[in-house]
Order: sequence, then C-alpha cells, then structure tokens
Amino acid sequence: MDAFLTSRAVSDLLAGLVSGVVIGLVALSLVLIWRSTHILNFAQGAMAMFAAYVGMTQLSHRLDLGAFTLQLNYWWCLVIAILAGLAIGGVTERVLVRPLYGKPEINPIVVMVGFLATLEALAGAIWGTTTLSVPTPFSFVDWQLHGQPLALSPNDVFRIVATFVVAVLIAVLFRFTNIGLQLRASAVAPEVSRLLGVRVGRMLTLGWILASGVGAVAAVIQATSFSTGLTPSIMEAPFAIAFIAAAVGGLESPTGALVAGIAFGIMQQFVSDYLNSNYVLLIALGVLILVLMIRPQGLFSKRVVRRV
Amino acid sequence: MTPVFAVIDFRRAHPVLVRALLTLLFTCLALFLTYFFDPLTNYNLATGAAMAIVILGLSFLTGASGQVSLGNGAFMGIGAYAAAIWAVHHTTTPLVGTLALATLVGAAVGFLIGLPATRLRGPYLAGMTIAFALAFEPLVSIFSSWTNGDAPIQTPLLTPPGWLASLVHAPTSSLTTTNMWLADISIVVTGVAFFFMANLFRSRTGRAMRLVRENEVAAELAGVSLPRARVVAFMVSAAFAGLGGGLTTLVQGSVQSSTFNLGLSITILSLLVIGGIGTLSGALLGGLIFAYSQNWITWIEGKTGISSTSNLGGNLKGIIFGLALILVMLLAPLGIAGSIRFVILRQFKKHPLTRPSQSSTPQ
Repeated sequence: MDAFLTSRAVSDLLAGLVSGVVIGLVALSLVLIWRSTHILNFAQGAMAMFAAYVGMTQLSHRLDLGAFTLQLNYWWCLVIAILAGLAIGGVTERVLVRPLYGKPEINPIVVMVGFLATLEALAGAIWGTTTLSVPTPFSFVDWQLHGQPLALSPNDVFRIVATFVVAVLIAVLFRFTNIGLQLRASAVAPEVSRLLGVRVGRMLTLGWILASGVGAVAAVIQATSFSTGLTPSIMEAPFAIAFIAAAVGGLESPTGALVAGIAFGIMQQFVSDYLNSNYVLLIALGVLILVLMIRPQGLFSKRVVRRV
Repeated sequence: MTPVFAVIDFRRAHPVLVRALLTLLFTCLALFLTYFFDPLTNYNLATGAAMAIVILGLSFLTGASGQVSLGNGAFMGIGAYAAAIWAVHHTTTPLVGTLALATLVGAAVGFLIGLPATRLRGPYLAGMTIAFALAFEPLVSIFSSWTNGDAPIQTPLLTPPGWLASLVHAPTSSLTTTNMWLADISIVVTGVAFFFMANLFRSRTGRAMRLVRENEVAAELAGVSLPRARVVAFMVSAAFAGLGGGLTTLVQGSVQSSTFNLGLSITILSLLVIGGIGTLSGALLGGLIFAYSQNWITWIEGKTGISSTSNLGGNLKGIIFGLALILVMLLAPLGIAGSIRFVILRQFKKHPLTRPSQSSTPQ
C-alpha cells in the first residue's frame, strides 16, 4: 500500500491535484463572470495577479491601530489580497465593462486584452519583474512514508482545502441565499428580474466582485509555493489552461469548470512527467478542439439554441 | 467640378488599374525618400513596414470577418522560423523564394488553427488563439533540432547590390547602403502585400466576409459558406503574418523564440485598433507607430528623467500600449484612420458633390 502511495503515478496524481485546484479556481472565476455578463474576462489572471501583489507586498509590515500594533502575517496578507481582488473586480466592471454592454462581441475582448497588458506592465513597473518569494504558512516538505516521499506536503493540503472552502462558499451563496437567487435571476432573465425589483446593474457588479475575489485567492495560492513565487506573468499559463478547462467544462457550468480545471491540472502533471512539459498547452489545445467539435457547448452545459 | 468626376468615373471603370497605379506611386515615393533618410530611420522603416503587413493580415480577419485573433504573433513566429531555417540551409535561394515559403507555411498553419474556428465563436476563438500564442515557445523547443531551441538562429545578411553603392557614391556597401537596401526591400514587399489586400477587400470574397461579420444568417441565406469564409479569413491573416515575420527575420538577421510571446500578439492587436480596424491606411499607420514607438519611449524617458533600466522604464511601453488599446476601444473604436474617414464622409453628406447633368438646363 505504501509503495503504491509513493509510486510515480500516484505522485503525479497528487501533484496534479495541487496544481489543478488553482486552474479550477481561475476557471470558476471565469464562469462566474461569463454567467453574469456574457463576457470572457481575458484580464482575469492579471487582475488576480495584481491583487495578490497588493496583498503579499504588505508582508511583515506593521499596522498601527492606536491601542495595539498589528504585525501583518501571511493570513492578514491573504485577507488584504482578497479585499483588493474584490475592489478591483467592482471598479473594473463599473469603469471598463459597463460601457461595453450591447457592443459588438470583439469590443469587450479587445478592452480586456488591453487591461491584461496594462496590469502586467503596471505590476512590473511597481514591484519589478523579478520573482517575489511568498512564504508558505505550512511546511512545504513532503510527508515521508517509510523513507519514500509522498508527493504531498502540509502546504499542498492547505492549497486544496482553501480551494474547496472557496468553492463551497460560492456554491452556498448562489444556492441558498437571497442574493444568490437575485444573481442567478439577473443572469438568466435580466428584463424579468428588473421588473420584479432586482437591481440587475448591481448584481452584474457583484458578479464581477465575487469572481475577482475568487481569482485573488487562486493567485495567492499559486504564489504560495516553494518553487513559484510571484511574478507579473505568473497567471498567464494558468489562465490559458483555465480558459481551456472552462470551455471544455462548459462556460455556463461552475461545477464543470472546477472539475475540468482539476482534470487539466492532473493531465499537466502526467504530461510533464512522462512526456515533456512543452507538450502541455498543445495537448490542452487538442483536447479543447476535439471537445468543441463534438459538443460545442462543453461537457457540462446544456445546449443553447441560437435563434434568429 | 468636372475633372473630379472624371477621376471618380475612371476609378469606377478600372478599379484594379487605379489601385496598381496608386501602389506604384506610393511605393516609388517611399523608395525615393529612403535615399535621404539616415541609416537608423531606414532600419526602423524596414521593421515597421514588415509589421504593417502583419497588422494588415489581422485587419482583414477582424475587419472583414469580425473575429479576433491573439495568435498572430505566433503566426509571425512560424513565418520567421520558416524563413530563417530555409535561408540558413539554402543560401542561394532568392529573397522572393524565401518570403514565398514563409507565406505558404504561415497559411498552412493558419489553415490548421482555423479549422476549429468554423465551430468556435468570438470569445472562444480569441481564448483559443491566446493558448496558441502561449504554446509557440514550447513548440519551438519541441522541434529544437530544427529551431535551435531557445537560442537564436543567425540568418545570412542581405547585402545591397553594387549599383546601390555607386548610387550614393560609396566605394563598397556600408551601413548606409545596407539599411537603405533593407528599407527598400521591405517597402516593395509591403507595396505588393497592400495591393493584394486592397483587391481582396473589394473582391467577391471580401464582400462575403463583411456580410458574415454583419449578419451571419443573412450571409448564409445569400449562399456564403460560413465555415469556408472563416477558414479563408484565418488563412489569409496567418499568411500575411508569416510574410511579415519572414521579412522581419531577414531584415534583422536573426530570430529567437522569446520574441514571439503573448506580448507581441497584444502589441499587434493594439497597433491594429489604434490605426483603425479594416482599413489599409490604418495598418500602415500601425506599422509606422511600431517603427517609431521605441524612439518615442526613449524621448519620453529623456523628458521625464525615467531611467530605461528602472522598473517603470522597462514597462513603460506595455503600459502605454495597454492603455491606448483600452482608451481607443472605449472612446473611438474606429481608430485613427476610421475616425478620419468618418469625419470626411460626414462632411460629404453635409455638402454633397452635385454632378452636372446634361438634362437639366445650366443656371
């Protein structure tokens, strides 16, 4: 049993799960925005990266609060990053996205690509392009089983748990709260919702705020690793694979995005180990093309019929 | 008034001839000007003209068929590597042959990437092309026995013919004549590419594409095959990107895979949007902006005292291009060329030219 757990395939599976949760989270945030505003947010990764920088550069700063001083540790920085993510999402929707509703399909694509370039360059200008190492709150040393390393460390478990906490929180919000009902209603039928008294405009902004917060968590988790750290382009590759995962899972389905994201993470690990990491994106592209040829709406979405 | 109408009528009667004459005129003018420019300007012109070809290709894809590609930097890279590998192994091939090969390879890869475009729409397609742009560098690494991996490939330098040296009264070819020759080559190739595209925009294919962009259902009812139109648009765009990439490589004399990153694709899109989507002059403007962007950045750095090695200096270009992309799309989505054309057309609507007609009695 122990030999099985430390075998090459299981190690790949575990490592893939750890990198897959980040991809799944980014895919989830893409789906949240797609469902609320039918815009594919190409700046999603960059917005998340920016929020992570805002949070993680505060590390070990002192905060004077009159009566007592607060030494900012990893957890406070995570909170700051999430708050920054929420704020970035809201401001982006109000300022950049609002004028684009009802415009041709390519306008939001172009604007969000411009935002992606701006944010990455801005982050490089403010914090530099060299890697900012982020401390791990838990040990990054793998557990040992009879002298053999299990490809899992306390830090990895933290990454996985954090992802599932976020996913469950989002699911509870959408399923069981009044706000969640309003969010779903304004995504499905904006006109009817407006007539029934839902502030649809606010719901669209809220959708962006939530998605951007989820993205911020994903970026912090991605940076919280012994090997990666934070760079302005850190989210480029996860974003590309997350987009592919979201498209494969179906842009309408949050569960599909999360599942497909984790599956792609595992695929990425196996391909890197058994073949070569250069093939990861190419194989992901191949899968995307194949799936969309057979089921253009994705694996987990219902078919939508376009009418004239 | 009458001569104006003579010109208009002649243009209507012989559109291709007029386009050919205009291309010839502008190309000759540009060639003439390179004689007076300093070597640096000529070199910038050479790279800018090559970039104008790439932008024109994307302009056709976006302006005619309404799709966005963020993979044109990678298509450019495909053409660049095709040209470089061929030029290294077959030094005797004339320039035209190498460039034609780069164009064809670009078109072939464009066909492959364009096949899924028959099923994908807007954002899906754009996302797929982003993934393709990011996959280009790994692709080069996979074929490292041909491409030399991450390391650059040096291509044989283009040497100007003897008569050009004698034209500027220099005994042998120097930097002046070499760069003049590079600019001249680029200008001629760009002229040919623009002439071809001007005709394509106005052809049956171009009209069919615009109909696809405006209304897919109407286009299908009118007998346009949507899948075919989309694939052809992708192929043409990739072929132009391949040509521009091949030309850039031969002008610069080396190629390296890290040049063709996602940032390049975004730069191409910015230049297209700033110049004006779907216009020939917009693509030219975009190429000129690209050629001089480094000079302008240096100028801004000199004026503001920002060091080019500082964090801000190194990222100034990205910030400016990114902001320009957002602002132009939000405030003037037609771009520079499109906005100017819009203003002129509005003037013509206010004060239409009245054709002197034979039937009415002259006042």
